[in-house]
Amino acid sequence: MASILKKRTFGREASLGIILIFCIASTGFINPRFVTGDGTRDLLSATAIVALLAIGMAPVMIMRHIDLSIASTVGFSAWLVADFCAKNPSFTWWQCFVIGGAVGIAVGVINGLLVAGLRLPSLVVTLGTLYIVRGGVYVVSNSVDYNAQEMPPSLLSLGQKTFAGLLPFPFLMVIILMVIVGWYMKYTKPGRDCYAIGSNPPAADLVGLKVFRRTFLAYIFCGFIAGVAGVFYLMRFAQVDSTAFYGQELAVVAAAVIGGIGLLGGAGTAVGVVIGALLVQTIQGALAALGVDAFWKAAINGFLLIVAIYADRVLARRTEKALLAQRIKERV
Amino acid sequence: MANKGDLLLEMKDVKKRFGGAIALRGTNLSVRAGEIHALLGENGAGKSTMLKILAGVHEHDAGTITFGGAPFISGSPQASIDQGIAVIYQEPSLFLDLSLAENVFVGRQPKKGLAIDWKEAEAQARKLFNELGVELDPKRQARGLSIADQQVVEIAKALSMNASIILMDEPTAALSASEVERLMTVMRNLRAANKAVIFVSHRLDEVFAISDFITVMRDGATVSEKAISNTDLQTVIKEMVGRELTELFPKTDHPIGDVVLEVNDLTNPAYFRNVSFTVRKGEIVALAGLVGSGRSEIARSIFGVDSYETGSVKINNKPLKKNSPITAIAEKIALVPEDRRQQGLFMVAGVNRNISMESFDRLKGRIFLNFKKERALTNQWRENLSIKYADQSDPVDRLSGGNQQKTVLAKWLATDPDLLIVDEPTRGIDVGTKAEVHKLIDKAAGEGKAILMISSELPEVLGMADRIIVMREGRQVTELSRKEATQENVIAAATTGKKGI
Ligand SMILES: Nc1ncnc2c1ncn2[C@@H]1O[C@H](COP(=O)(O)OP(=O)(O)OP(=O)(O)O)[C@@H](O)[C@H]1O
Ligand SMILES: [Mg+2]
Repeated sequence: MASILKKRTFGREASLGIILIFCIASTGFINPRFVTGDGTRDLLSATAIVALLAIGMAPVMIMRHIDLSIASTVGFSAWLVADFCAKNPSFTWWQCFVIGGAVGIAVGVINGLLVAGLRLPSLVVTLGTLYIVRGGVYVVSNSVDYNAQEMPPSLLSLGQKTFAGLLPFPFLMVIILMVIVGWYMKYTKPGRDCYAIGSNPPAADLVGLKVFRRTFLAYIFCGFIAGVAGVFYLMRFAQVDSTAFYGQELAVVAAAVIGGIGLLGGAGTAVGVVIGALLVQTIQGALAALGVDAFWKAAINGFLLIVAIYADRVLARRTEKALLAQRIKERV
Repeated sequence: MANKGDLLLEMKDVKKRFGGAIALRGTNLSVRAGEIHALLGENGAGKSTMLKILAGVHEHDAGTITFGGAPFISGSPQASIDQGIAVIYQEPSLFLDLSLAENVFVGRQPKKGLAIDWKEAEAQARKLFNELGVELDPKRQARGLSIADQQVVEIAKALSMNASIILMDEPTAALSASEVERLMTVMRNLRAANKAVIFVSHRLDEVFAISDFITVMRDGATVSEKAISNTDLQTVIKEMVGRELTELFPKTDHPIGDVVLEVNDLTNPAYFRNVSFTVRKGEIVALAGLVGSGRSEIARSIFGVDSYETGSVKINNKPLKKNSPITAIAEKIALVPEDRRQQGLFMVAGVNRNISMESFDRLKGRIFLNFKKERALTNQWRENLSIKYADQSDPVDRLSGGNQQKTVLAKWLATDPDLLIVDEPTRGIDVGTKAEVHKLIDKAAGEGKAILMISSELPEVLGMADRIIVMREGRQVTELSRKEATQENVIAAATTGKKGI
């Protein structure tokens, strides 16, 4: 008996993958540079930060919550790390990650306590922390910017590393994280609890799931990844000011939703999210490669998001019908 | 390991109030290992509240509870699970996005090394479903299951916990005879393994078929605790409702008039094929059959919330637009759905608003809802169906399950329809009110309304219907008149597809 459940999740990722390949191929047809090694490396580097953040947010969204504060956290972490490096020229790359990660965890703890502890709506809480953290960057940075000279060379060269000629270091990290998170969410009890909690929160209480702990830890993880992403930001841009990564949280949400994480929780995978991020970036890159005005960028992102949500609805309705029908057929 | 007959659970003088409403005013319950213990009482008597206290959902305000010889640790579902208490709640609460296997083992998935062993989980779930006699694919998503199937998954979940006591809050309310029979076998096996079962049901024939001991509650207090051999149906009913009940099914004969509903060759290949029947003025037609035989889907298709592929529906000799509940309502069709929580009620809205919702036109003043009329309407239905609530504007999700069902019934009966379709009208309704519901349906028929009734409860079908259409696996097997129909030939037709014996 074929499993509809499996077919569906497989279908989702596979169809996204097919759309992705189609986009890449058709752009490459018009602008061959797009499918060269350089083009691929560019695409992967440009996607890495959003993909990383989307994986970090996946457990939160699967639990029917959201974290809008991530882009502010990226900015905060990036600026603080740069500041530390400027004041301690002996710093190397791993110390950057320690600081960035710690900053992220701090924000995650605050979000987690408010959402999981006080059970406040996550949309409002993280909208609040979005402003608070960004405000924090403005205050501490005092309009000071940092450039490549102030950053550890070991960090910048790490960002330039590629593997197998095609895979930039940041995207390698994305793949590793994707595999770990994907496995964890599918094959461990805490991972499955996230799906259950997002699918039916009151029922999760009834079966004795540790809702507080799971939610709290998911926010800490999300914050941690955002903090780490701040270091990746430095690696990529070698420059930071107080507006770093401003407003990018919605690009992350868009990538996650396009990648198959429903806003109502209970569904989605890390693999899907990464493909979603790649797809958003590819279409952006493709439009640039085709010479479409950058002015259209935001509008097209929004359009994609709506198409994705619509596709999701249609798919969900179809699955529901198929599931109803299956029940009857099993009887016959 | 408890021995048979050892006292397993003792609840003494347990009290519980919700804000101003007193749910339990001093209840006792003693359950022994190896016992099937029925907990009976009218809607709102406090049965679910008792079970939810044991489940850790609510905490009692006063009283003592001992479980397995030690003080019961209250107030958290996890603590109850750890103490060996498994619960089947009155309202199924599945995770619709997850597979059935995962629903059964949520939080307790079998592991192989570090990872969850999904193969093992699926195999075990399949075994449990087989034991319950229902063929469900453990890998499928829970979304799209009928209420009855959801109930089966809940039962499997409770069984898989290997608990020492299983609390079953109306597990059979949506099941038909053959599934109930399976469940009873499972309950007997549990008893043989020295586990205890607390069984809540409004189907008293089931209660007498399986229980060893009966505790009756009324208005939040225990009124009797008796071994089954020391009591009988009449006594129990009297203890429950505080008076004698006569004539459970007061069906009267009415003149049968013109055809109101005509269903012609209706087919939706996934659910039902070539269904044709009519319902006339003053007539009660019942659709009987097993769970999953396509009855609810037919009702939903007529009402327009589901679609059909071929065939036609006529109402008062006019074709009825397909797929449009708005048209159906305008044509004075009412559907009391099977799933009250998902399809029937606005759970956070007040009782009064739920009841008046579909009768807005009649209740409005010039523009706005006339609150006085709404209040009068609500009071009228509270009387008619003895709905129990503290205040008219109480949100429906604070009502007991049976009272929620009464609210859905009231909402649609209040619309004064020409064609009334009722899907499991008395699901979870107590014996006292069941007769009232039947009386109301009978009265509606007497007023010349056409009534299409779906019910898994055979006595209800046999007692109420003028004609019975038996469905099996989406097809009409046979049609029996009131005179021809017996328990035996309806069951035979529903299970084997053979007509008339
Ligand atoms: N969460 C709640 N808030 C307020 N009142 C409640 C709540 N839960 C139950 N009640 C009230 O407590 C009383 C007992 O309800 P309970 O659900 O235990 O009844 P029941 O015996 O299970 O009835 P039924 O047969 O209809 O399921 C009812 O009057 C109900 O309105
Ligand atoms: Mg109840």
